[in-house]
Amino acid sequence: MITSKHLDRLSPPKQRSKVERYGVALLGALSLLGIAATVWLGLWVTPPDVNMGQLVRLVYVHPPVAWVAYLAFGVAAAASIAYLWKRTRSPFWDRVAGASAEIGVVFCALTLISGSIWGRPTWGVWWTWDARLTSTALLFVLFLGYLALRKVPGNPEARYKRSAIAALIAFLDVPVDHFSVLWWHTLHQPPTVLDAGLTPHIHGIMAWTLLLGFCSFTLGFAWLLVQRYRVESMRQQLDEESLTASLAERRAEADATADAEADAPTSTRPPVGTIAR
Amino acid sequence: MPGNADAARLLPGAAAMSAHRRSMVRKLVVVGVVLAGAIGFLLFKGIGSALNYYETVSQAVASRAQLGSSTFRLEGKVVPGTLHETASAVDFALESNGVKQDIVDHGSPPQLFRPGVHVVLVGHFQGLNFVSDRIMVKHSANYIAEHPNRVAHQSAPSRSRARGAGNHQPPA
Repeated sequence: MITSKHLDRLSPPKQRSKVERYGVALLGALSLLGIAATVWLGLWVTPPDVNMGQLVRLVYVHPPVAWVAYLAFGVAAAASIAYLWKRTRSPFWDRVAGASAEIGVVFCALTLISGSIWGRPTWGVWWTWDARLTSTALLFVLFLGYLALRKVPGNPEARYKRSAIAALIAFLDVPVDHFSVLWWHTLHQPPTVLDAGLTPHIHGIMAWTLLLGFCSFTLGFAWLLVQRYRVESMRQQLDEESLTASLAERRAEADATADAEADAPTSTRPPVGTIAR
Repeated sequence: MPGNADAARLLPGAAAMSAHRRSMVRKLVVVGVVLAGAIGFLLFKGIGSALNYYETVSQAVASRAQLGSSTFRLEGKVVPGTLHETASAVDFALESNGVKQDIVDHGSPPQLFRPGVHVVLVGHFQGLNFVSDRIMVKHSANYIAEHPNRVAHQSAPSRSRARGAGNHQPPA
């Protein structure tokens, strides 16, 4: 964990422009306001559903959270492709992929939890092994594995490359997860918004509240991505500077020892060619 | 950036770092094995259950001989007018593609269970009936406002009150 003590050791960070600073702050503020408005509209303004009654209110949170998980894994996969492609290869893309995958794992966990909370009163069960739920759980575990793989020590370039390949393999589960409700028999309902004909099955203020939820959580993802990327950049800078400083200290110690040996009186040393008796 | 070999030779804790590295690799191998086990379990459950999560009533009735008395999931729509509650069970008919099946359920139906909804039951054939012990409600992707004009109804009286006309009717 990076503390203020560690940060003091870092070389001064590159001065960020005003646009960058205020832009990121605005992103966070808009996201918070949007999520607050979604909660207010979802809980107090929108009507109950004709079938679900008050249980419908989780629709304003669960699908946007799942969407952010997909988006985050998509960004991780795109950044991994950018790293693997020689023309764009840079540690920047590895950091983006790692940061995005971490956010994706958190939102995937939230998707599983909110879905379970919604499933108990509507379906009658907390969990069932249908294709949608199973593939979502698999997606969560696959990206947990990806995050673990990123921690395996080794040559940085080899580490970045194997992580990028792992992210692409894990991402293959995203389309399977999304289309599972159309490809197989599932207890989970088909898509409400992103169906084959892109025709929403929700209307009026319910649809607008859902749209606001999607936009707000997406802004929240963008803000989290920027912050997580910064933390990762500082951690890497700290690692590099700590190693460089330690090496410099050891070199100085080695030089001092060599100088001391050179300055030592020759009488203490046995003459060359003599045999001690 | 200095190379790893250079670092290992010059740093005082090079041996300790190497031991730490080995310990970390060991931990990661354990994590990897656990994750691989989790993935294997999920794939096993997926192949075994998720890909053929349920049989519709028409499919199950058509392959009744093969299904025998084995436990499986059955999907269909609760036929309106067939629902009867007794002290220990709920009886109703389930329908899909024009094929009906009589059901006897001994579980506790979820709160959204009612005539006309699609359900998935867990149970087996017994005589002429399908006996289940769990009902799961399969709701649609459609969300429809219960009172589409609720906001208009609620805001109209408040506007009326503002104008001094207080004799509004509550929304239906």
